[in-house]
Amino acid sequence: MPYRPFQSTYYNERMQASPALLRARAPYLVKNTITGAAIVALVIGIYTYTIKVISQDEFEDVIVPPEPVRRPQSGSTTDEVKLAMAQKKQ
Amino acid sequence: MRPPYTCNRCLSLIKSSRPQLRPTPPVRIPRRHHSTKPALPKLSLPKRGLSSTANRKFNQAFEPFEYVDPEGQRRRTVLSEDNLFHSFTHSPVPEIRKRAAFMRQHAYCPHPSHKPTRVAHSDGDLESRKSSETGTVPAHVNFECPDCGVPVYCCEEHWADDYEAHLEVCDVIREINQDDHDLRSGRFFKEFEFAEPQMEEILVNMTSWDTYLYTRDYDALNEDREMRQATKLLTYPMTIASVIHELSPYNIRSGGSMTPEGLKSFSALRHTLHPPRTGGGDTWKNPRLAPPAVRIFVLGARAESSLPRETWMQMIYLFHRVQFSLNFIGPEAMMNRSEPLPERTPNNPFGAVVEDRISNALKISTFVEYYHTLHKTGHFYPYDPYFDVFVVFHPGFGNPASMHEWEETLPLLLETKCPIIATGYSPWDTKQDVDFLQTRFSNEMDILLDPMENRFRSLRWDINDFDPHDVSCDNWGLYAFRGKRYETTRKDADEEVHSERTE
Repeated sequence: MPYRPFQSTYYNERMQASPALLRARAPYLVKNTITGAAIVALVIGIYTYTIKVISQDEFEDVIVPPEPVRRPQSGSTTDEVKLAMAQKKQ
Repeated sequence: MRPPYTCNRCLSLIKSSRPQLRPTPPVRIPRRHHSTKPALPKLSLPKRGLSSTANRKFNQAFEPFEYVDPEGQRRRTVLSEDNLFHSFTHSPVPEIRKRAAFMRQHAYCPHPSHKPTRVAHSDGDLESRKSSETGTVPAHVNFECPDCGVPVYCCEEHWADDYEAHLEVCDVIREINQDDHDLRSGRFFKEFEFAEPQMEEILVNMTSWDTYLYTRDYDALNEDREMRQATKLLTYPMTIASVIHELSPYNIRSGGSMTPEGLKSFSALRHTLHPPRTGGGDTWKNPRLAPPAVRIFVLGARAESSLPRETWMQMIYLFHRVQFSLNFIGPEAMMNRSEPLPERTPNNPFGAVVEDRISNALKISTFVEYYHTLHKTGHFYPYDPYFDVFVVFHPGFGNPASMHEWEETLPLLLETKCPIIATGYSPWDTKQDVDFLQTRFSNEMDILLDPMENRFRSLRWDINDFDPHDVSCDNWGLYAFRGKRYETTRKDADEEVHSERTE
């Protein structure tokens, strides 16, 4: 076996775990899987709860104000302001 | 593929006209350690279609050939990986042929029709089936089982008759056969390249061999054979380390085998083995007083004392800032060792071979003496349960062949009140020793570790040359005991035994 200084012998050339590594991990496989599943379930639970609480379907409590009465549009706003200032001066 | 150096036309012309001149086959690339791994990649230079050198062929698998191993040494391989199963009598290795001849002279056929030759040591022993009234003359083994290659019965009829009993050990013996040939095959043993010392903060997981090898950063031992060969050596330091280290897998819960008395003894040892940091270092500017070395006495040492020192250092690498003095004591302590014994001088009154240049943390002394002789002179006195531990590897306390040697030593060991870690080489051997200790010393000793299978036992089994069916593995069983302490009590007061206050 050529000595590869920066590659761990616990992984083969294709970076798959070697049998020695799998044997070393074996006593912890079940416990770690359960812990991982519990953490993922916790995260999913937090997301579900948050989105459920902030998402609403009924909007009856929001009162939409009625449309305000509009004057006919004569010109731009600056003309209207000038008109109002002239009226005030008089 | 178009050959890059030779013209195509010339090539085809030469090949057609001279059919004998074939291109050389690729040079047999030495297979290192697995037969499953692909061979080394071919040289990056493109090969010529035609060559002018002679045609070389490697025919027989065990024709010795030389190669250069990764360390740069030249080695001769005698056997290849897939050619390891050979009958002992016709083995290519002369040492193994000698062993087969030895077995034929000394081992007896276990078939029940013969008379027994020795006392049966357990219920499962094949000797217990024999009867001395109706048995025939005991015969030496002669017939080799074709499945395991070791002479196990005197003739083929007895082998066929007793096949069920033989089947229990046949595949183990076959494995032993392959491992023994493998050890002498001359290959490069990458499994004997042990790991380097690590820093203190890396915690070593001692739940099993695999977790230990991984957390200590050994090279991966993917094959079972590599694990077997490596653990056979490492079992000696690791058995001791797994018991005395604070990360030991033996605990006082109901599944772990330590008893509360054991926890007391080993906690005292661990107080010394894992000292708190004192601010001291290895320069002249911050020296600190160091405590005396932890003494490990290996009694009845035989092959353990000849283990390579790097193997014993693997135990030392687990303990930081502690010094060890390893003492091998026993009449056969210099077995397999070629050093001459020094003279007995006043400075070295027992002619011990002292090796103190191994490391700053380890000194090994070998005494070729019985332990009781040394004990009575007070050479190692005082014995401190915080610093001293006794280890006995397969002592055979209850084995009739070796019981008498331990007669005098055992009471003296119990007197020292230091923990004694003991192993056995098979389940019945461990049971025999523990039963003997319980019947002889039950009220004088405390069990510190209940007898059970050692997590760090050797995974490789061995045949006993005197009885091929008695397969044993180094340090199979593990237990520990210690002499009970007697407290002085007042005549009128209540007797308090082993309570917190009086100890």
